[in-house]
Amino acid sequence: MSLLTQYDADARSVRRATRRFLLIAVLLALALIAAIFVRQGLLRQTVSFSFVADSAQDIAKGQAVRIAGFRVGAVTEVSLRDDGSVAVNLEVDADHARFVTHDARIELRKEGLVGSPTLEIVPGPDKTRLASAQARLAFSRADGLGALANQVRDEFIPILKDIKAITGALADPQKGLPGTLAQIRASSEALNTLLANGNRQVDGIGGTAIRVLGKAEEDLKHLGQTMEAVNQRLPGMLDRTQQVLNHVEKITAEAETSVPPVLRDGSAVAADVREIVSGARQTWPISSMVDAPGPSTLKPDSDPRGEAGRAR
Amino acid sequence: MRAEWLFASIIFLGACGSTPKPVDPPRLKAALEAESDGAKRYRRGDYVVAERRFADAMRQFASIDDSIGSTRNRLHLARTHLAQGRAEAALDLLGAVSEDAAGDIDALLLRSQALLALAHRSQAELVLATAERSCAAKCPQLPSLKILQARAALADGRAAEARGFAETAITLLGEKDQSAEAANAWRLTAAARLAAGDAAGGLTSAHAALDIDRRLALPEKIARDWLLIGDLHRHAMRNQVPGAAGEAAAAYSRALDVAHAAGLAEITPLAKQALLDLGDGKIPVK
Repeated sequence: MSLLTQYDADARSVRRATRRFLLIAVLLALALIAAIFVRQGLLRQTVSFSFVADSAQDIAKGQAVRIAGFRVGAVTEVSLRDDGSVAVNLEVDADHARFVTHDARIELRKEGLVGSPTLEIVPGPDKTRLASAQARLAFSRADGLGALANQVRDEFIPILKDIKAITGALADPQKGLPGTLAQIRASSEALNTLLANGNRQVDGIGGTAIRVLGKAEEDLKHLGQTMEAVNQRLPGMLDRTQQVLNHVEKITAEAETSVPPVLRDGSAVAADVREIVSGARQTWPISSMVDAPGPSTLKPDSDPRGEAGRAR
Repeated sequence: MRAEWLFASIIFLGACGSTPKPVDPPRLKAALEAESDGAKRYRRGDYVVAERRFADAMRQFASIDDSIGSTRNRLHLARTHLAQGRAEAALDLLGAVSEDAAGDIDALLLRSQALLALAHRSQAELVLATAERSCAAKCPQLPSLKILQARAALADGRAAEARGFAETAITLLGEKDQSAEAANAWRLTAAARLAAGDAAGGLTSAHAALDIDRRLALPEKIARDWLLIGDLHRHAMRNQVPGAAGEAAAAYSRALDVAHAAGLAEITPLAKQALLDLGDGKIPVK
């Protein structure tokens, strides 16, 4: 009896452990599924846009869509339309859809000249209105290596043509370089003759010119000495003049601000002093010691200017 | 600290020991102060400001209907005008005074002074005659009256009479402290002697006048004294007095120096002309 009782207790314990294990396993499986959904973006909100390209070259499903270099979405579908053009659908995270304006365009760019292609959404200048969901955006391809090569070729071909024409002209025996050299040779011979004549004439007037130049040199020496003296003295004089002017300017500026108040203050102080002295003189006991002014008499002077002594 | 207490105690005791003084009304006091200030400036020779202060005082006395004070300051103002050589302005002021106080000798003397300065000799003598009648034997203005009478006589060419008046004035002034009038009397004596041909006696009188004027430090009078001394020396040249020309030139030069230094525009050309005349050998004739 006791043995059966012991067996039942063990069995219940095993069942409880098994249930607990299964419950934990289910919870872990659910968490794993949720993590996969989140990682794959299945739970996030997106906004769909589309564009039409003339070719599906470098465009593929799952290709990254970027804004300012940040990945914000991906191409969801690439399909051929009835008119031969290619319809491309893409999804952009709802959080980043605020950058997609109604006049935004999609550019197919390559990372470097030969890198992998990416689709870049370039917002338009009008930031006041956003593109609606399912809106069709404009599309363009950035120039790749081939386009650059074509551009270089277009630039070089005319240059090569010009070089060819120039070399042809230089090689012409009549109008080209040989003819020109012959003409230069003839001109240089004529010039030599002319110089020989000039030399003879210059020799004639050389004596006079030397005397004139000697006199001019002498005058210039004098002028140079004068200028040296001026140069030595002028900076000092100018400095002193500038200093004086600065002083005058400073004094004037100071006087402009200080003199009027001083005059006003002086007048006020004089009035105050007069009032104080007058008050003090009227105040006992000083008033009893100070004589009030009485009628004044001037000493007689019958000839205040001394005119009587002469010519009167 | 002890000195301050001692000073305060002296003031306090002095005030307690003195009898209280009557206090003048403020307007009267202001008028008296203006007059007093004008008188101080006149004594210093600051005639421009003195004139302004006397004019203020005259107006203030008139505003409180004090005719005595107003007349007194009118006379002061007239004297200031005379001192600045504005005899006509003085005469205008004195005309009103004469109507108000015909017996006022001071007013009459100033009036005659203005008339003499304007070369109205006959009118001046009439006024002086009126003043003489008003002046009793010991009237305080008697020396001034005599001096003005001397001036009038000299201007009329009566040198001896002028000298008599001037010497009387000197005698009368001997008892009084009126240096300026004494110098005037000496100057007039010298001028009268010069007019009478007594250059040597005139020089003594002129130097007496110069000494007094120097003590009083009156530039215009000093310069005129030197001119008079120069004239006396130049007159002595006629009597062949040795060194008279040099003395005359020195005196005129001193007059010119003083006139230059004091900015006496009226005397400078006189001194220059005297020196030029001396250089040209112009000796005054009898």
